[in-house]
Amino acid sequence: MRRKGSALSGMSTIAWKEAADHFSSARFHFVMLLVLLTAFGSVYGAIGEIKNTIGQDPFLFLRLLTTAKQPVPSFVAFLGFLLPLVSIALAFDSINGEYSRRTMSRILAQPIYRDALLFGKFLGGMIVLALCLLTLWLLMTGLGILTLGLPPSGPEIARGLAFLVACLAYAGVWLALALLFSTIFRQAATSALAALALWLIFAIFWGMIVHALTVALAPIDPTNPMTLVSAVEMQSALARISPNTLFSETAQALLSPQTRALGLVFMEQMEGAIPGAPLPFSQSALLIWPQLSGMVAAMLLIFTGAYVTFQRQEVRA
Amino acid sequence: MRTAFSPLGFVVLTSGLALAASGALAEPPSSPPNAPTGVWLTTDYPAVTEQVGKSFTMDLSLENHGMPPERVQLSLEGVPQGWHYEFEGGGKPVKAAMVGPGDNRSLTLKMTPPKDAETKTYTLNLMGMAADNKLSVPISVTLAPPAPASLKLESKLPALRGSASSNFDYDLTIKNDSPSNVTVNLAARTPPGFDATFKEQYGSQELTSIPVKANESKDIKLSVKPPQDIPAGKYKVEVGTSTGKTQAQTALMLDITGQPKLALDGPSGMLSGSAVAGKEHSFTFTVNNTGGAPATDVKLSANAPSGWKIDFSPAKIEQIAPGGKAQAQMRITPASNAIAGDYSVNVDSNGKGASDNLKFRVTVETSTEWGLAGLGIIGIAVLVMAGAVTRYGRR
Repeated sequence: MRRKGSALSGMSTIAWKEAADHFSSARFHFVMLLVLLTAFGSVYGAIGEIKNTIGQDPFLFLRLLTTAKQPVPSFVAFLGFLLPLVSIALAFDSINGEYSRRTMSRILAQPIYRDALLFGKFLGGMIVLALCLLTLWLLMTGLGILTLGLPPSGPEIARGLAFLVACLAYAGVWLALALLFSTIFRQAATSALAALALWLIFAIFWGMIVHALTVALAPIDPTNPMTLVSAVEMQSALARISPNTLFSETAQALLSPQTRALGLVFMEQMEGAIPGAPLPFSQSALLIWPQLSGMVAAMLLIFTGAYVTFQRQEVRA
Repeated sequence: MRTAFSPLGFVVLTSGLALAASGALAEPPSSPPNAPTGVWLTTDYPAVTEQVGKSFTMDLSLENHGMPPERVQLSLEGVPQGWHYEFEGGGKPVKAAMVGPGDNRSLTLKMTPPKDAETKTYTLNLMGMAADNKLSVPISVTLAPPAPASLKLESKLPALRGSASSNFDYDLTIKNDSPSNVTVNLAARTPPGFDATFKEQYGSQELTSIPVKANESKDIKLSVKPPQDIPAGKYKVEVGTSTGKTQAQTALMLDITGQPKLALDGPSGMLSGSAVAGKEHSFTFTVNNTGGAPATDVKLSANAPSGWKIDFSPAKIEQIAPGGKAQAQMRITPASNAIAGDYSVNVDSNGKGASDNLKFRVTVETSTEWGLAGLGIIGIAVLVMAGAVTRYGRR
């Protein structure tokens, strides 16, 4: 039976309710506390490092996010590692949790379409992520103003906001993935483990897998330098399957303005180039546009997968 | 008979000897036969001409020939009103002198007429009063106006040739032909924009005046620096010296041979521009000739990264007049695979005898076509989702 009216009516109710539930849940509090602590630790280390080593930099606030003080990684590296965890914590039981609590039939007894339920759940997670990231970014900027004694410049704010958008897209991919697993697996523990396994693969093991695959798919012939080029290209193409790679490349291009290219660069292309000259923001944005659009598209497609799976399920179990 | 000498005969002999001896004593051999004896007061030149307004001296001599030492009181008679005089002997003012026989005393009469003394001949009487003798020498002094002072200025090499950027150093000699020491003021009149400084011949101190002793000369140096952008030609510098009373001039020539000088300028004074990878852009460069001669055959070239296309139109500028400028278009196409960012391009302008270059900074922007492709991918993802929503949308 076809539904009447828009699939999105009632979606905002679900979204805000979902967001409110998240904000009051202990699980979310723990995860955010973890993120906040690591963020403070890394930025605090970065401030000390900047004060000690850097005399002058037109992008001091961006250095705040990218500078690492051993053994603490930089803020960006922490975000790349922990944002998937936050997303998974938000969504790994969003659908199967409703089943196990036996609340799915009650919700759908309300005048709400199934579509709106899934859209609302996803959007609620995105709202939570957006608010948290914005707060985190403002906190870091405020900390920077307080300790460095400088206001951020216009390009720095633009790059910071673009980085925020990239973070949201990256977190969105993992949110959609966790949502997909929560619709596929009836057990919350299974979906959580599946999502965490994928997270571990992409965060830690993907580099090794890519290396092994490159050796197998594009062997290097020492007499033919072109095979080296194709191997490097193959390696970067495989690495970009991982959203973590896409995110770290995006962060690098946005937060280090002197980044001119991501990937293979030939010597002749750098001839006459002025080293260290920062790219204008528009060019940096153009540089990471494929990565960003890739993440957004992946988020949409994974969500579509979750949507199709959910729509085909029997909910009256 | 030998012992019978008469005593009379011996007496005659001895008296004859005595006579002979007395004759030798009466006439000493050193004395001239008719030398005058007496005490005299003399001067070499009893009639002199002196310059008005100045003191002068006369050399006197007091001589004694064959007279006992005598004290002589010195004085001058007929001294005009306002004149001062003084006798000096042995470096001291004296009033009287004494001289022994066969000796003489040098004396000096120093006379100081007033500054405004009349120029005419004065007759004075020099008097020497001894105890029983009165010596008198009439002298005449003619006062004449002073000789006219004159100043001469000469240049060893009055015409020099060089480029506008060189220094023109002239050696000048100032000669003071007057009997007094003077301070000479120095001045030079140059064409506008020239810089002229007087210096010591072997020194770097700049001078505005220099003292020159009477009847001596001094060598000085005049250094003239023309302005950099002066057109080629002959320029005249007049040098004048003056002491207030006298002056002297000389004219110096500068023959400036012009030289072209190029100055390259970017589009509207900027040294940077932006271009899209793989697309042609055009920048207008201006070549200025700031030298003093026309610049000919000015070639424009650029040194760009490989894979870039750069040419100029026109590639060669035939002539740029002094102070003039010419424009050329640089057409630049960054390599289509150029990476976004700043690149440095060396632009050279080369004329005969002059060149200039600049570093032009090209900001390469990459094409936004791939940005549209990214949007397309997102669009496809949205379409897939919309299709899923329509296909699986149910209650």
